[in-house]
Amino acid sequence: MEIKTDDYRVWVEGSDIFFDGAMRLASSEAGAPITALATSVLASNPSSITLNLKDLQFLNSSGINLLAKFTIEVRKHPDVRLIVRGTPDIPWQSKSLPNLKKLHPALVLLMD
Amino acid sequence: MTTLFGTPDIAIGMKESVSRVRLYDGPLDLSWRHCATTSDFIADLFALRFRSSRNDYREVRHSIGYLVNELIENAVKFRAPGEIVIEASMDSQCFKLKVSNDIDGEIASEFQSLLADITVGDPRDLLIQRIEANAANPDVSGSGLGLLTLMGDYGARLAWIFSPAGESDRICLETYASIPISQTHN
Repeated sequence: MEIKTDDYRVWVEGSDIFFDGAMRLASSEAGAPITALATSVLASNPSSITLNLKDLQFLNSSGINLLAKFTIEVRKHPDVRLIVRGTPDIPWQSKSLPNLKKLHPALVLLMD
Repeated sequence: MTTLFGTPDIAIGMKESVSRVRLYDGPLDLSWRHCATTSDFIADLFALRFRSSRNDYREVRHSIGYLVNELIENAVKFRAPGEIVIEASMDSQCFKLKVSNDIDGEIASEFQSLLADITVGDPRDLLIQRIEANAANPDVSGSGLGLLTLMGDYGARLAWIFSPAGESDRICLETYASIPISQTHN
């Protein structure tokens, strides 16, 4: 499963969802295919889901909202562990990813 | 009548050494892609002086790019037909931005009502509250989250001035922003 545009790519390997590039979503509707992809991973009832954002250079606020909404969806499944992998080398990640942990304190945020 | 929301003291002071980019509606066929192109250009331009430190450059370039991108995205999304003017300046402490465009009267009223909600309180708490509210009600759009992200995660101070435009039922909206610029590694 893969979503590919000129600017970004999102794909799934097992229960890991990888993001790459610069994502500037014009609206929440523009992010619907990504939400559908992430939801399909959640629907497969894995023991954990990893959002790998280490190569996502830019994410606008519509995209951050998408991640936040998905985090809240996963929160409804206490048996599914949510891991978010980011990097301190990309400023939006160190500034905004801690908000996901506020939404879902059991989320594992790895900034390495 | 002129109406102001936000931090009054940043709604002035754009007079010194201002760089200006004007996005004309017709010839450019102004669209979503112009947000990224324009914000990347402005961020590159203003971050140049920090290039001696890789970390400072990365931080400053990103913060400016993020701020400019969010505010131009709002202008492109909500404007009435017409140009968007972006003015920017920077001193040793902060980067300042002013984005001007016209909007319809109805959009102005809705936006003012949103601003009344999101400019009172701690933006970091308000951001989480609004994300939760949006997730609980799928019909509600994510409006205001970008501005709260700027205020909460980037330390941006924002102000908005609404004043009558020349044409009836159109409002001239000026959005002012200021973010701290820290130089730590030189």
